[in-house]
Amino acid sequence: MATAVKSKLEQFLDETVVFYGPDREILGDHRLAPRSVLEERAMAKHRDPHTTSLLRSKLEVTAEEAFYQLEQTGAAPGAKWGDLIAGIFTAEGDLAVASSGGVLLFSVVCQPVLRYVMKYWRNEPTVGVRPGDVFMSTDPRFGNIHTPDQNMFIPVFTDEGELALWVMVIVHEGENGSVEPGGMPSAAESPYMEGIRMPPVKVGENFTLRRDVVTWLQNSVRDPMLQIQDMKIRLSACLKIKERIDEIAREYSWEELVAALRWTLEDTEAEVRRRLAAWPDGTVRSTVFADSTLRENALIKIAVEARKRGDELVLDFRGTSPQFTNRSNNTVLHALKGMLAQEFLTFVWPDLPRNQAVFAPMRVVTDYGSALDCTPEAPNAQSMMTFFPAFTALQMVVPKFIYACSRRYTKILSPWYNMITTFIYGGINQYGETVGNLCADLNGMSGGARDDADGENSISPIFAAMTDLGEQEVLEEETPIVKIVPHRLMTDNCGFGKFRGGTGYQMIATVRRADAFGFMTTCVGSKFPSTYGLFGGYGAPTYPLCKVKGVNAFDKLKDLPEERWTVASIMNERPFEGARYSTHHMGMQFEIVKQGELYMIVQGAGGGYGDPLERDPDAVIKDIRDAIISESTARRIFKVAFDARTLSVDAKETERLRNEEREARKRRARPFDEFLKDWVKPAPPEGLPYYGAWDDRETIYMGSPERKAPRGQALGVTMPDPRDVRIAQLEDMLRKAGINLQE
Amino acid sequence: MRRLAVDVGGTFTDCFVEWDGRHIESKALTTYHNLAVGFLEAVDRAAAQLGLEADRMLGGVDSVRYGTTLGTNALIERRGPRLGVIVTMGFECGMRLSRGRGYGDGLPRHLQVDLAGATRPAPLVDQALIVGVNERIDARGEVLLPLNADDVRAKVRRLVDQGAQGFVVALVNSVVNTAHEERIEEIIRDEYPSTLFGSFPVILSHRISQRKSEYARMMAAVVCGFLHEQMFYSLGNLEEALRERNYRKPVLLIHNTGGMASLESTHALQTIHSGPVAGLGAAQRVAQEHSLPVVVATDMGGTSFDVGIAQGQGSWLYDFNPVIDRWLVSTPMVYLRTLGAGGGSIARYDRLWRTVQVGPDSAGSEPGPACYGRGGMEPTVSDADLVLGYLSPDYYADGSLQLDRSLAELVIEENLVSQLGGSVVQAALLVKQKVDRNMADAVFMEVATRGFDPRKISLISYGGAGPVHCCGFAAALGVDRVMVPPFSAVFSAFGAANLRQLHLHERSVYLTVYNPLTREVTLDIAAVNRICDDLEAQGADDLARQGFDSSAIRHQVEFEMRYGNQLVQLSVPSPIARLRNVDDVLGLIDAFRINYSERFGEKAAAPEAGVKIVAVRVVSWVVGTAVKLESAETSRGATPRPAGERTCHFLSHPEGVATPVYRWNTLGASSALPGPAIIEAPHTTYVVEPGWRFETDASGGAWMTRVNGQH
Repeated sequence: MATAVKSKLEQFLDETVVFYGPDREILGDHRLAPRSVLEERAMAKHRDPHTTSLLRSKLEVTAEEAFYQLEQTGAAPGAKWGDLIAGIFTAEGDLAVASSGGVLLFSVVCQPVLRYVMKYWRNEPTVGVRPGDVFMSTDPRFGNIHTPDQNMFIPVFTDEGELALWVMVIVHEGENGSVEPGGMPSAAESPYMEGIRMPPVKVGENFTLRRDVVTWLQNSVRDPMLQIQDMKIRLSACLKIKERIDEIAREYSWEELVAALRWTLEDTEAEVRRRLAAWPDGTVRSTVFADSTLRENALIKIAVEARKRGDELVLDFRGTSPQFTNRSNNTVLHALKGMLAQEFLTFVWPDLPRNQAVFAPMRVVTDYGSALDCTPEAPNAQSMMTFFPAFTALQMVVPKFIYACSRRYTKILSPWYNMITTFIYGGINQYGETVGNLCADLNGMSGGARDDADGENSISPIFAAMTDLGEQEVLEEETPIVKIVPHRLMTDNCGFGKFRGGTGYQMIATVRRADAFGFMTTCVGSKFPSTYGLFGGYGAPTYPLCKVKGVNAFDKLKDLPEERWTVASIMNERPFEGARYSTHHMGMQFEIVKQGELYMIVQGAGGGYGDPLERDPDAVIKDIRDAIISESTARRIFKVAFDARTLSVDAKETERLRNEEREARKRRARPFDEFLKDWVKPAPPEGLPYYGAWDDRETIYMGSPERKAPRGQALGVTMPDPRDVRIAQLEDMLRKAGINLQE
Repeated sequence: MRRLAVDVGGTFTDCFVEWDGRHIESKALTTYHNLAVGFLEAVDRAAAQLGLEADRMLGGVDSVRYGTTLGTNALIERRGPRLGVIVTMGFECGMRLSRGRGYGDGLPRHLQVDLAGATRPAPLVDQALIVGVNERIDARGEVLLPLNADDVRAKVRRLVDQGAQGFVVALVNSVVNTAHEERIEEIIRDEYPSTLFGSFPVILSHRISQRKSEYARMMAAVVCGFLHEQMFYSLGNLEEALRERNYRKPVLLIHNTGGMASLESTHALQTIHSGPVAGLGAAQRVAQEHSLPVVVATDMGGTSFDVGIAQGQGSWLYDFNPVIDRWLVSTPMVYLRTLGAGGGSIARYDRLWRTVQVGPDSAGSEPGPACYGRGGMEPTVSDADLVLGYLSPDYYADGSLQLDRSLAELVIEENLVSQLGGSVVQAALLVKQKVDRNMADAVFMEVATRGFDPRKISLISYGGAGPVHCCGFAAALGVDRVMVPPFSAVFSAFGAANLRQLHLHERSVYLTVYNPLTREVTLDIAAVNRICDDLEAQGADDLARQGFDSSAIRHQVEFEMRYGNQLVQLSVPSPIARLRNVDDVLGLIDAFRINYSERFGEKAAAPEAGVKIVAVRVVSWVVGTAVKLESAETSRGATPRPAGERTCHFLSHPEGVATPVYRWNTLGASSALPGPAIIEAPHTTYVVEPGWRFETDASGGAWMTRVNGQH
């Protein structure tokens, strides 16, 4: 083709684009951008690390101030406990300085949004990037984690009009007009049922929001008050950061400021590489499972192979389950990376600054079209159901590298409980307002056991520190939810071990003074545990959702003795006459709750560390006293002999029992090869809804032994509607009963 | 005016006396075994300065005021009674779980973000001593499950069997319906009358806090119960000792609300941090005297850097959910922050940023900085200050401690220069610059997040290391003027002498002022005014009980307001005593908007999301007279002459500059010195950096002012 024609064709193709959709090239690359011309110039002039350190300190305070402001003024429940981040980004979109608190996985997921703007809108005549512009996005296919997260960002220019940096804040807002209230619909069968899908859009000019755009967004959600209020507070937080940055630039200079941002990134990456280099080289593998799509039971494989060489770490997730094209449990790739970064920032190197460079030396390998790297047409509002297990897989792997390191930056940890056990709620509250959001109990995940201490009972989510379980009195003031039992620790609900994992609490909830208000729940781990132990420690148990319907509990509870106010007692002993008792997996789609009916869920446990036979017998007895474990568990699992009346330990007998168990273990043991012969099967068993590679990761199974495809060609599984499945089952039963069904 | 105020601190018990216009300062060592001993020793020394017998002085003062920094020791050391806690059934694990975040409450940020290392403190009450009773009240006060008296009796007996020595009753929603908590108190009194085992203290949570938040309220009651016995025992002892020394009136206890009251009108929680709050009271007095709208008081000692905000118009900035030791509680407390920066803060090479890092850990007082010669092997801020020439090896802490410069140089050489290169002085300058930056950032954060413009504040600096660094951190903050106040050696005691009787009564409510869905102003004015009447009557009763006539009592109504369902609740002083009509309500909405916009920016105000009142508060106080801000030391010599000269190193003069050294007691009431200069006082050293000017004023304070154009 002639050059002129070729050029003409290229121009035609460039100008004739139907849709500037998600950009795989942007989404696939989380490395730091090359130094810009401005950065090169600035860094050549400003190389003094001491001055940079002082300047950086001011930027950090600025981010903290904005974080505080967002937390205080945000109306979304997530904002109140820090499900947000405030950051300063380089002009090319790399997060350089972020608030220290909040959800740190945001530190990796914001970059694609800015890169998209820089690539597509900066030079687009109808959009552009100019001083005073205000942008926002919600669609995770362009960055962010999932649709309930809403960001806001503004460009900041030097006095000469050069783009110096970006300021962005992001908050988990919750309600977003999705098919179920609260913003995280498990019922979504396509991305278009997951609420507002906003690619990066200019929503304001002259630092002012456009009321028509705000109205459009309010018109798309159930809670228009929340929408406008939090858009205003996000913009105010951005403006606060910009105001401070302008002051800093006046005190130093724009070039010094730009240089400080870039030095911050490069110094951080260098430090991470030094720390990685101190790990022993090697390969460690881990496999975990999610047991549900939230609509049906399924064994969803999440596998990681971590290869560490020199100062680089490769996290290879190939062989993981294919995506589910009509289920919302799929993960967009950068959300996976964000969650992996969280492990390093919170659980391995909590002293490191919060910025993009922490994850820059890591490489993530996935299969496009898998549950951890879904395509744009796969829903993903409940991506936590796959990327949280992926985080756990990493938590299984990392201790095996750092166990041998001479310098550690915090304790070695067994896996933290990894599911958001909470009531997501929605409907019309007692004041007639339409609301949709979630209770703060998702912050009650239990800690994994440490190499020198037990895990903490329900303490903090895997994605943030210093969150808050909140106060029930405040919850009851604002919503019709009544927690009859808000936080009662559940006996025997911990990962046993030399050091035990933290114990989770149980919740028994209902509603009052509202007839059109309901709950949903979203967890995996009802049939197959989601969290595991380390070095011989036990994992978490499984947790079903329990319901008691056809009863008004307030009429009955006054006669219920103290010891029966537990999920286990209510479900096992069924104290309310005439009530209907049922258990379910934790993927409950939104349903209206009748006043006085009970919904019961249990916070999960952290994994145990080490062999329970090595646990200090006195610690076992203390756990009995504190109702963390039962006497039966003390005897069966920990092999502690004690006087049931006085709880005094019989040390000699304990030692005998433990030795006996050790001998029994030896007797049960078999040579590894022999074990493999019996244990390893060529394919998943018939009837098991298994998704992902079996032994050979080149073959991906999609629900049955027969349904499989070579890796790379298994581009998704479409699940039948559970109601259709149920109808088919019932029709089959009728047919078998001899009833002829008319079509 | 004749008035005596004492602040019992960790090392010294400070005393300030106003006696017919004379101002006396004295100190004695704090006596932990019996605080009254150190207290009376300080009083004796003050009396001696007046040439009086202590009995005569005590018989002549109109009041004795008492504040302390020691309140949390009993918590830290777990020296309290075994409390039995009665909660609503289902809520028994609240204390253990401490809202999740309890692991980090009271800890510095770098420990809060380390989740793998997160460990909760042992609870104040054993789980076996926490019982749930079968009852439930809903958010509006309706009884969902009636209290079962038999169940309560059985639980109370169980607690006593387990060794409970007192009770805390903390039921859900008890602030809107107190009946169940009160009934439980009756049952306890019935089961264990005072004639049987002596009285079991019973603390009902709604009497400690009227705010909704069952965990923080329970913890407030538990902390109160934990400290109750010890406080009443030790203060009872003190009152007795003072009675024997001729003081017949009640001792006035400084409250952390910024007020004070007699012992019987005080609960233990109100006395925590009363010493530092009294110090802030002194800062407030300084602000009033000098017409400064906002003063940030900074107290830099050996191990900590305390920051508080005082307002010239006299109102206090409160923290309604402060953390005491490691416990989040619900109680209004004057806002104060303690941060990890002080003379003992350790400096290290920071590999990540290729520079120095200072703090957050401290060498403390033992072993202390290396220059103390007590075995400290890491460089600290004080070591850098010594190397830079700011501190005198021979005149530190009134000459009580000889500093060793060679040790300071050695640890800086070994720990910093070996990594950074350069000289010891250069490394020491980096340490000084970094700690100044840290303090400036800390002040900035505290000020900015509470809605004040950091550029428009006035700084007050005290504490042993404060005047050494105040030019540095003020410059880093962009503030051009710092005051080192008079009476700074007994600043909290001076503050205590200026506080007034004050009580705060509040109640959680949930009142929609503006409903955006119906577009109506819906506030029930009559209901609000009834609450105000009730709270005002409680405040008046408190003060009447202490003998004040109603004509001397003043009240201020405050509303805590918010937009929609946000977390922040701003206190809005009501522009008028009582709301009368919609116009007044609109005025209130506007007052809230102004307050909110000043703090968070105009664009953040969102009345279209609804306006709510979530608490009503009445502050009741007695009009009183303040001590004149005039130091006894103002009659010193007029013409300052340097006592000597030494080489000091500054950022602007890293190579060193000959710096005159003055003694504080040779300066006059209006002495003015250009920087660089060093002024050595018994308890601190003033470092006047180049580009700064030092002046004393008639009050006995000193001002450090940045000269225009010099940075």
